[in-house]
Amino acid sequence: MGLLDKLSGWLGLRKKEVNVLCLGLDNSGKSTIINQLKPANTQAQEIVPTIGFSIEKFKSSSLSFTVFDMSGQSRYRSLWEHYYKESHAIIFVIDSSDKLRMVVTKEELDTFLNHEDIRGKRIPVLFFANKMDLQDAMSSVKVSQMLCLENIKDKPWHICASNAVRGEGLQEGLDWLQGTLSAQHTAHITTTKNNFLNMFVFLFFLYL
Amino acid sequence: MTSMESGGDGGKWLDAHYDPVAGLYTFSSCVDLADLSGDGENRLVVGDLGTGSSGMKLKVYRGTALMSENTLLDLPAGLVAFFMDLHEPRIPTTAVASGPCIYLYKNLRPYFKFTLPSLEVNTLEQDVWQQAREGQIDPLTLKEMLESIRKKADVPLSVRSLRFLSLETDGLDEFVQLHKQQPIRRQTVITCIDTLKKSTADEDGVSCLVVGTESSDVFILDSKAFIILSKMSLPAPPTMMDVTGQFDVEFRITVACRNGNIYILRRESDKPKYCVELPSHPVGLVRVGKNVLVGCTDESLQGFTQKGKKLWKIVLPAPITTMAPMDLPTRGFQGVLVGLANCEVHLYRDKNLLSTIKTPDVVTSICFGRYGREDGTLIMTTKGGGLMVKILKRTVVFDDRDSAPGPPLAQSIRLNVPKKTKLYVDQTLRERESGVAMHRAFQMDLSRVRLAAAKAYVKALESSLTPMSASLSEPLKMNAVVQGLGPSFKLTLHVQNTAACRPVMNLAISFLYDENLYRIRDPYMRIPLLVPGLIYPVGTFVDCTNDKGITDIIKVFVLHEGRSSPLLTAHINMPVSEGLALS
Repeated sequence: MGLLDKLSGWLGLRKKEVNVLCLGLDNSGKSTIINQLKPANTQAQEIVPTIGFSIEKFKSSSLSFTVFDMSGQSRYRSLWEHYYKESHAIIFVIDSSDKLRMVVTKEELDTFLNHEDIRGKRIPVLFFANKMDLQDAMSSVKVSQMLCLENIKDKPWHICASNAVRGEGLQEGLDWLQGTLSAQHTAHITTTKNNFLNMFVFLFFLYL
Repeated sequence: MTSMESGGDGGKWLDAHYDPVAGLYTFSSCVDLADLSGDGENRLVVGDLGTGSSGMKLKVYRGTALMSENTLLDLPAGLVAFFMDLHEPRIPTTAVASGPCIYLYKNLRPYFKFTLPSLEVNTLEQDVWQQAREGQIDPLTLKEMLESIRKKADVPLSVRSLRFLSLETDGLDEFVQLHKQQPIRRQTVITCIDTLKKSTADEDGVSCLVVGTESSDVFILDSKAFIILSKMSLPAPPTMMDVTGQFDVEFRITVACRNGNIYILRRESDKPKYCVELPSHPVGLVRVGKNVLVGCTDESLQGFTQKGKKLWKIVLPAPITTMAPMDLPTRGFQGVLVGLANCEVHLYRDKNLLSTIKTPDVVTSICFGRYGREDGTLIMTTKGGGLMVKILKRTVVFDDRDSAPGPPLAQSIRLNVPKKTKLYVDQTLRERESGVAMHRAFQMDLSRVRLAAAKAYVKALESSLTPMSASLSEPLKMNAVVQGLGPSFKLTLHVQNTAACRPVMNLAISFLYDENLYRIRDPYMRIPLLVPGLIYPVGTFVDCTNDKGITDIIKVFVLHEGRSSPLLTAHINMPVSEGLALS
């Protein structure tokens, strides 16, 4: 990143790029959610089970997202951990109608939270309690209870109920993610700006 | 999701669901997993036995919830889901075997009923009932005649006659009035059911039904036309069955029968090809790979090859309640799950215990497979009607080693055995070439040794050369002890009367020795009356008169007054005298 790029970034002229990892069990609706977040003209008509992973890009008002849409099938779940390091945010999708596999979701979530690349990081995690339209779906409160989300103390997290097929609840979640990321970004920029200023003062004194 | 406690299984399983009051009473033969709606999500199909006399139902579960219920007319003996045609969408048919019929359900609706052909009826029995119908004989005579037919006929009586014979006298008339108009039929009953792929080994290939009956037959039914493709006879009624292969190519049916034997049927013959006689009755039969695992009533699990050769046997901590295979093709894992009466489920790969699952109740049925969208799902129902679902963790690794206590690992390390020497090889060759001659020579020498020993023994007995007397009038026993370093030794003779109650009198002891070497103080002694059982020590002193270290034998005779031959003889090997004579 050149100096000009940095400068434009600080001045808010250029959108900041963030890498987002989309996780969740198979058939939870990850690809459908990502598809809904894309601009209307690039949306796919039919969603098929993801093999391995796929990369999608879209922009919001202030951020430019690169989403790694991981496959949730059990044989591909071992791929997830290779992408933890480079991600700035996580989207975790839960099928709230699948009561039987909630325990598997919890197992995968715990494995994820205890991974060495994630454990110490203040990385925002957005949970989508998806498939709210289904009759036997659990509420987002119930889902967060079953997954023991209240135990996540060191990371900002947010859960919102969603219906990916009709796009309900997705914007709310994305707004939260954007807000959290921007806040972190601003904090980061403020410190760098101060450093920059100090350097100028130092150079000035040196010149004198 | 009422229970989330871990089951003491080393964290290998996730507790997905436990409903202790699901009201499911069933056995492993009546449980199956199938994609009944063709949407990629497997459902649990259960033939519920209800109370055993009422409330029999075909239940279908989706996830944690009961999806549908169909009432069954009779107790289910077995339930299988299979593809009977190639129509799209691929929706499997559920077959429920109960009584002499197979009820087929498609899309959870009754679709077809197949009844096994009825058996031959005893003609005498038919005649007797004919007479009863025409009023020629009264119910009591009918009962007597049926009783006599039952005893000697080679074709067994029909169920109707057997029920009639079991009735009390006052119910006979009513029973005859009720039933005499209907023709007599003899139906067999299905005891077990399984599927056999018709011509392809594909997961969704068309299958035939394989049915074992109470009449000791095994039928293979075509699922399209419902005709009997093949009929095979067994020596006893089958109770459990395992089928592998394809009907058109080659198949193998392993059947556990009520006589405690296991028979293996092959494609070519209608009679069993191999037979395994078990030490106790089988309670579970599962095929893992090419081996057949059998659980027996003697709390053991045994492994056999597909030709019936026994491979191993392990003893279990409790009686077996049920068994099921655990096949996980995505990980190449094959094992067997054994439900035990001590509320445990053990997972074995071959004879190695890999995992123990503790359950809150005794498990009566086990089913492992794809349920919902999860491949490694274990479904169990309990004696109290509970339903339990566990999911195998994605990251779980099963150790190859046995987790049960046993011999240490070092025991299986091979020792560095030295190479065979030339001498060894030559010897082995010689033994191989002239083994018969060597054996004969050995046998001849052995016989000679035995003959020589027998001769010496007879001689000793005849001349009373032994320190034991076996004569009836004076049964005696004697042993001698020599004490001292020399030249003076003390010689003590312990004499015992071994008779039960008779004393022995008039005995004397005399010695025979080389007078140049030894001098005995009392060379002739009288023995007092011998009371039976007591040991009498008789002692004297022996002086060695020679100082050259020569030893000799002293012979001791026990004599009876007035008889010339001794009653018994003892030879005493004198020790070397280590001191010098004083005089």
